[in-house]
Amino acid sequence: CRMSSDGKPAKFQPPPKPVIIDKQKQREEKRFLSPEFIPPRGRIDPLKLFLERKDMIQRRKVFNIPEFYVGSILAVTTADPYANNKTNRFVGICIQRGGKGLGATFVLRNVIEDQGVEICYELYSPRIQAIEVLKLEKRLDDNLMYLRDALPQYSTFDMNMKPVSHLDHEEVPVNKLQVRMKPKPWSKRWERPKYNIKGIKFELPEEKMRKAQKWSQPWLEFDMMREYDTSKIEEKIWKEVSEELKK
Amino acid sequence: MMPVWTKSGKKHAVTLLKVQDCHVLRYISKEESGGKTSKLLVGGKNGSPFFKSEAAMEIFKEAGVPPKQKVTTFNVTDDAIIKPGTPLYAAHFRPGQFVDVTAKTIGKGFQGVMKRWGFKGQPASHGQTKTHRRPGAISTNKAAKVYRGKKMPGKMGNIYRTSFGLKVWRINTKHDIIYVNGSVPGHTNCLVKVKDSKLPTYKDCNKNPPFPTFFADGDESLPEDLYDEEIFQFTDPSVTYA
Repeated sequence: CRMSSDGKPAKFQPPPKPVIIDKQKQREEKRFLSPEFIPPRGRIDPLKLFLERKDMIQRRKVFNIPEFYVGSILAVTTADPYANNKTNRFVGICIQRGGKGLGATFVLRNVIEDQGVEICYELYSPRIQAIEVLKLEKRLDDNLMYLRDALPQYSTFDMNMKPVSHLDHEEVPVNKLQVRMKPKPWSKRWERPKYNIKGIKFELPEEKMRKAQKWSQPWLEFDMMREYDTSKIEEKIWKEVSEELKK
Repeated sequence: MMPVWTKSGKKHAVTLLKVQDCHVLRYISKEESGGKTSKLLVGGKNGSPFFKSEAAMEIFKEAGVPPKQKVTTFNVTDDAIIKPGTPLYAAHFRPGQFVDVTAKTIGKGFQGVMKRWGFKGQPASHGQTKTHRRPGAISTNKAAKVYRGKKMPGKMGNIYRTSFGLKVWRINTKHDIIYVNGSVPGHTNCLVKVKDSKLPTYKDCNKNPPFPTFFADGDESLPEDLYDEEIFQFTDPSVTYA
């Protein structure tokens, strides 16, 4: 055994305790409330929203709807009476999530044999048999409709893609990809400030970009009537939904 | 309005109607009313007593019921008479039944002939002078007058209209809600009258409805949700085609 400078045997020093990072606790702090639970503004009876939420939770207990964002790659299998195996599997990138309540939809886009295909699925439709998230990620925008006018390489995904693993406690990665576009004309004038797109690498001349700013409405962000603060509503609904799902 | 799916995977849009504090107010016999059948006065949602006439308040006092916002008459046969003061519930209707819904349409105010009656108007260019949405000719030369009921601009909407033959998909007995197929006249949260359908195709559709009505203090206790046979319930697994 080692001798210290005194010559006497050194006092036993226990090894340092390992620091346990509890990943479970970190995961509980992270909450994801699907956007279709948030009630829209308007004269809607809260009882109707309550009944709709009950139905949505009931469906989620039987069928797992995973967490996904606009920009994640999903594979959806639906029941199809006219297909060989009576099922139809489609892989694509989610470009838009619309609708509230039971009628919530999401649009998947893919390019198959040089033909762009977009399919709009209803989240709560009973014909959907499985939704798998192959790659969970966010993009810089909420709406990726501009992929229609982008080069096809940005919308092609392999139909037999392997799922990319995502650890539960990590934050959702944001893909800061800037997409290159086909030459103009586009289906919409994406350079205009009303679309507020950050994910396109505009290769237009500076003159055109300045002229597009003519349609900017800088007063909109200060308009108090358009403010819709959903933080408190979200917390209430999150509590309700998570309690029901645990039962 | 909400989506509803059938077991074959088809989607239908459904309107939710709430039965809120409905009571039978008065029984009017055949001779008194002068019609072919006796009538029952039924009152809807509870409202304030301040803007009601004395005569109306007397009816509510006689029945022993708080003042109602909407009062309607139903023509009833003699074996379906109910005692005034009994509450009416959504369980009076059953899924699979067909129903007519009457309500006042959304008022659009004074409207022109194109919106009100669907006239085609005139072209936007090619020499039209100040004439793009006008009715054009209103009668012929020989008639020498304008017929009564000629379609002209005027106040549109805010009149009673009925949608016939709406299927009842689901009934919630706890909150008294009827899920009725398709759309219904009126704005959101407006007062509505629901009757058994008068269409001849649905004459024999009511198999054993609660007659004369569903009494809450009776012996039978219904489950919270009553579904139609074809509806897809969310407790079942996803639909597959064999």
